[in-house]
Amino acid sequence: MGLSNRGGQGILMRIFPSLSAGSRRGALLLSLAAAVGLALAGCAQSPPADDPDAVAEFRQTNDPLEPTNRVFYAINDGLDTVILRPVARAYRFVVPSVIRTGIHNTLSNLGTPVQLANDVFSAKPRRAGDTTMRFLINTTVGVVGFFDVAKDWGYPDHDADFGLTMAGWGVPDGPFLFLPILGPSGPRDAAGFGIDIALDPFTWVGKGIAVAAVGWSRTGTNGIDQRERFLDPVDQIKKTALDPYATFRSLYRQNRQSKIDKLRNDQRATIPVWFPNRAGQDASGTN
Amino acid sequence: MATAMPLTWFAASGARAQGADAAGGFVKATGDRLAAAVNAGGSTAEKRRVMTQIIDGTVDVDGVARFCLGRFWRQATPDQQKRYTEMFHQVLVSNITTRMGEYQGVKVTVGRTRQQDDDNVVTSTVDRPNNPPTTVDWLVSKATGQLKIVDVIAEGTSLRLTQRSDYAAFLTRNNNNIDALIDAMKQQIVQGN
Repeated sequence: MGLSNRGGQGILMRIFPSLSAGSRRGALLLSLAAAVGLALAGCAQSPPADDPDAVAEFRQTNDPLEPTNRVFYAINDGLDTVILRPVARAYRFVVPSVIRTGIHNTLSNLGTPVQLANDVFSAKPRRAGDTTMRFLINTTVGVVGFFDVAKDWGYPDHDADFGLTMAGWGVPDGPFLFLPILGPSGPRDAAGFGIDIALDPFTWVGKGIAVAAVGWSRTGTNGIDQRERFLDPVDQIKKTALDPYATFRSLYRQNRQSKIDKLRNDQRATIPVWFPNRAGQDASGTN
Repeated sequence: MATAMPLTWFAASGARAQGADAAGGFVKATGDRLAAAVNAGGSTAEKRRVMTQIIDGTVDVDGVARFCLGRFWRQATPDQQKRYTEMFHQVLVSNITTRMGEYQGVKVTVGRTRQQDDDNVVTSTVDRPNNPPTTVDWLVSKATGQLKIVDVIAEGTSLRLTQRSDYAAFLTRNNNNIDALIDAMKQQIVQGN
């Protein structure tokens, strides 16, 4: 990987000379996705105007780049079949469930800074509090994040990324995009992905081969961890869907929407239950 | 007159609360039956038979089938509608049986019920060993006169919406040919067995 990508990395280093290894990694993933995308851009044919139902459906599906997206779906699916899926299956076979959960928890704990930043940008103080407590508890009692002790102590995890944050601000998701390597997305969520990388302090610490190696291993492990968690549902969908691409598109959108709804509906009061209420305030709902 | 208003209001809200209770109880009973069927073990054929029974009794299969065909339902001939609905029934049973077949030790815990338009949404948590708990919402309707499940929403993704977009995409790519869809569904069942 390192050798064959030398040219690409070189260009990136010239464009962003001050970037660290981590940020170059993010930029490399994104620009790779964008470059292949532009090279193969093609547009979906709009249905004839005399069929209003079909036109309404076309608008609702909002996938004007469908032909291009399908090409990337096919490429990703091929790569997944020969590389990622077998690796994820091997990972599941070799590593016991308890350890896998621990690895997942550790990776999730490393993502805390980005999560916290997004909680703050979303103006959700209780979520930010949960995230902070989770980080403090799991990093110490939970042995550098391996055990999710905080969940049992009343600080559950939640989804937070910059795509969701922007959705909370009212930014629409835009047309559907199926990105090489990264999979289903859209302009808002793809931009959010880039911003999350920029928000990650690990992007900015240190330079050199060791840091780059750690960064890539984290990215790689994250990919395998995520893929392992979706082994059964993805197999199921490929077996039962007549058009897996359309099914994944629908599922991605519904899943994002449900996370956005959860973010919006999280209206917990800022004053915790144990805090003595000031006169006339019924914030916690306990009195 | 003055007392009649609150009385009818009480009666209406009472009926609504009763509807919610009934929906919750109905989902709990169905969840228990499903879990029992899944955990029972036995042959695939036997599981399939029990599953067909449960689905026939608790799911508004015809209504869900119509929903999943979307705008194409009106374009279909009565004969196509009939063949499609029959095929949909088989696909539904087959999909649920294969999906459930891999699960063991399933537990369904029913939570609150809330009103959504004319239907009730019953929330539940599905626990499986070695898996994080999943939030599953059951959309229960009384449109057919009896309580029937019309949708299952797992972690915010609706089964019937996903199915509808799958069929719509297939039909768009196959010149809106409903017979092609029915053939593809048939093919799917042959492969699934």
